[in-house]
Amino acid sequence: MENPIQHFEVHTIIPIHIGGLDLSINNAIVAMWVGLAVVSCMFLLSVRRGLSPVPGKLQSVLEIVVEFVQALVYEFIGKEEGRKYVPFIGSLFLFILACNLIGLIPGSYTITSQLVVTGAFAIGIFIMTLVIGFSKHGLRFLGILVPPGIPKILIPLMIPIEIISMVARPISLAVRLFANMTAGHTILYVLFGLAMSASLMVGWLPFGFTIVINGLEIAIAFIQAYIFTILTCVYIGDAIHLH
Amino acid sequence: MPQFEQIEVFQTLIFWSLVSFAILFFFLKKFAFPPILEALEMREKKIRGDIEDSEKLKEDAQTIKKELEETLKAAHGKAETIVQLASDEAKKFQEKSLQETEAKVRQVQKDAEQEIQGSRDKLLQEIRGYAAALTIASTEKFLKKALGDDDKKRLVDESIEQVIVELEKRQNN
Repeated sequence: MENPIQHFEVHTIIPIHIGGLDLSINNAIVAMWVGLAVVSCMFLLSVRRGLSPVPGKLQSVLEIVVEFVQALVYEFIGKEEGRKYVPFIGSLFLFILACNLIGLIPGSYTITSQLVVTGAFAIGIFIMTLVIGFSKHGLRFLGILVPPGIPKILIPLMIPIEIISMVARPISLAVRLFANMTAGHTILYVLFGLAMSASLMVGWLPFGFTIVINGLEIAIAFIQAYIFTILTCVYIGDAIHLH
Repeated sequence: MPQFEQIEVFQTLIFWSLVSFAILFFFLKKFAFPPILEALEMREKKIRGDIEDSEKLKEDAQTIKKELEETLKAAHGKAETIVQLASDEAKKFQEKSLQETEAKVRQVQKDAEQEIQGSRDKLLQEIRGYAAALTIASTEKFLKKALGDDDKKRLVDESIEQVIVELEKRQNN
């Protein structure tokens, strides 16, 4: 049996080098583009066809997604403040979901199983919350490091703890998504490898498990996209409302 | 793990994933989300408006129902009063006509009694007159002569004849 994590290897398809930067197109990027193209086509089809007051199947699905994102944003950021963040949060959710789901197709690639990608997004969101916080509250934003209602004597202790907690946010955000995707795909690969390498008499068992785990992975793809999105909403909400 | 070993692909992965996300975000923000959000808002407004309208219509229907019930109640009351009045009137009229009939009957009875009494008095008067005339005539005959049985009988018959003639005369008068 092959190395179960071998399929996480990235293979360059079109090498592109601009200046000192390597911007080559590889299998991970192509898979991501396919996922995003599917999402974009769904929206494009529905919007270009004209949104009907009585929605069809596709429009209903898209409306459910948008309403779901809108409800998330309104709950954690607030209706007035959150309105402008709906497209960003929606795009983030759909991006992660599309990348997670496209990776479940055999031979494809899950770009969210790359820590640098999830890390880039997590750091980007972290920086964004800092920018929102400082632009909205100025230096008062540093008050987020002091939870309300704590005795003054505990403030010197709480500030380092809160700083660690703040820094841990993007790390946990990035690692959670990366680890879940990597673990899920590794299990699938191992089970499928067993099914292929074993004789037909016993091979059906890991194959059955592969199907079950694949179903579970679809659920995990949704759950992880949801968790990433909801935590982003919470962090932005914290930056806006300061606790 | 390849994710940590293939450092050379980090640049391209970060670059293209961020660029792709930015393009998706731009596309969704510009073309997809506004019409969908607008459609959702319109539908929400329409549903809210429809619900408010239906609530208003329900309230109106309740008011109309209440008014109708009150009108019906008033009409029932009015009808009962009318029936009561008619019943009272009928009772009064019945009593009045009974009293009138009784009075009429009494009057008719009284008149009949008076008429009977008058006729009786008249008849008695007449009988008294006939008896007197008969007695006078018979006495006259007895006084004139002693008579045989045949004469007596004849005289009585004559007297009776005379009385009858007298009666007929009176009747004719």
